[in-house]
Amino acid sequence: MSSLVQILINGLLLGSMYGIAAIGLSLIFGTMRIIFIAQGTMIVFFAYLTYWSFVKAGIDPYLSLLTVVPFAFVVGLGLFYLLFRKAAALEDRNVSLLLAVGLMYLVDNLILRVWSATPRGLDISYSGAMIVAWGIRVSWLRLALLGLAFGSAVVVFVFLKKTRVGTAVRAASEDMEATTILGINSVWVCAISFAIGIALAGVAGVGMATVYSFDYQFGFTFAIKALVALALGGMGNVFGALAGGLLLGVIENLAAYYIGIAWIEVASYGIFMLVLIFLPQGLFGRRGLVKKV
Amino acid sequence: MANQLLEVKELSVAYGDVRALWDVSLEVEEGSIVALVGANGAGKTTLLKTISGLLHPIHGHILFEGEDLVQLNTKHRVAKGIVMVPEGRRLFQALTVLENLRLGAYLPKARADYDDSLERVFTLFPVLKDRMNGKAGLMSGGEQQMLAIGRAVMARPRLVMIDEASLGLSPILTRTIFELIVALNVQGTTVLLVEQNIHMALKICSKAYVMKTGHIVLSGTGEELLADADVRKAYVGERGSRL
Repeated sequence: MSSLVQILINGLLLGSMYGIAAIGLSLIFGTMRIIFIAQGTMIVFFAYLTYWSFVKAGIDPYLSLLTVVPFAFVVGLGLFYLLFRKAAALEDRNVSLLLAVGLMYLVDNLILRVWSATPRGLDISYSGAMIVAWGIRVSWLRLALLGLAFGSAVVVFVFLKKTRVGTAVRAASEDMEATTILGINSVWVCAISFAIGIALAGVAGVGMATVYSFDYQFGFTFAIKALVALALGGMGNVFGALAGGLLLGVIENLAAYYIGIAWIEVASYGIFMLVLIFLPQGLFGRRGLVKKV
Repeated sequence: MANQLLEVKELSVAYGDVRALWDVSLEVEEGSIVALVGANGAGKTTLLKTISGLLHPIHGHILFEGEDLVQLNTKHRVAKGIVMVPEGRRLFQALTVLENLRLGAYLPKARADYDDSLERVFTLFPVLKDRMNGKAGLMSGGEQQMLAIGRAVMARPRLVMIDEASLGLSPILTRTIFELIVALNVQGTTVLLVEQNIHMALKICSKAYVMKTGHIVLSGTGEELLADADVRKAYVGERGSRL
């Protein structure tokens, strides 16, 4: 019994990383209508920045949230205006998608050039700290990830529901031209939602640096996991995306325990496809969002 | 001429190589209702989209209170008081009625008058107040049209351009919507109306233009055009029903 609880908890903690990444994907998809395939690579990039500020300047990774996340937001704005602004105005979404693929490989190789292929990880003094209760052991750092994931979801949710620009983001993801008609600068609205998506990559990057060892190839896999999480949770719903991430983490841990570690990927991608076939709107997505032709 | 709020002068628009408007000129007097009628594909929507800055002309001028708008983007035109109610309403269906209205008052000047505007909209369309917190997409067609107009009113427009307000509405609802457009006009908002329901449009407007394949082919007061035999035959029909 306690081993099952342990598995579920570990799954939730692993899944919180997927959840943060999926919320970012969901935001970017909302306005740009592409799967931002470079999201994982951006996460790895910010993990390296966290690693750097830890190794070079001794800055605690959680303290570096204060620098990495705002920096990621600015990087997001810059990327949008440099790369995606013109492509986002085209009807053909493939241009944006290809740009994202290009960006992914460019940043992958930039990381390889700057930080080499050696996997990195942080040696944090308190990384062994555990909570032990009723025979269940939970690392504080992983628990903090769950906190980051919920914190991110709440912040994004409040932004979308309660702020003027957030309302415009939701409106633009429904009908971009209609926002323009009202005098709303829809380019800026897209830029903001993209930048928040990248800021979330910053959050996930810090989280990744604290618990994983990572290398330059990690990004693509991670983007795909986030995509699976998003498909499970359903588009257009912040907490759905988070829930999808947590669920994917649990599925992976259950698969590892009951059928063996080698089966993790088979199980998660199998479930991914089953969900797409039978529940294309996801488990928590808005019904009617995926329209039949 | 009297006090013209909007003057369109020899406006030509093309989609790629396909010319959609040919030297179109029209005038909208301050405080009036002007109707723009004609068959599908005549260029009415193209003209409205060009006036609001979504399309760019190959030549011609759009003067608003004497100032040429051609170089301004949609945002600046909305700020000057030109607001379009697009064809098909284009509401944000998943957002609440109030959120839709709030987005109408997005620009700083309109936002400053938000409370007044909201009261004005709720007085014109009391049903919107009752449905305030409901999703826009769950309302009936007539209510959605009211919300679309209300959303434009939130922007504090000097000129509202309404594209096919009666589309898909029952005759009774169409009448209601037209009465509300007149009420809006009486309060001082100038209206440029694109309509399929030509009979109704000609009855409430002070001036009308008839468009055909990208040209203005006829203009006059509403009564003149209603009396015009050719217009009756081509557009209004025997009993004054829709096309």
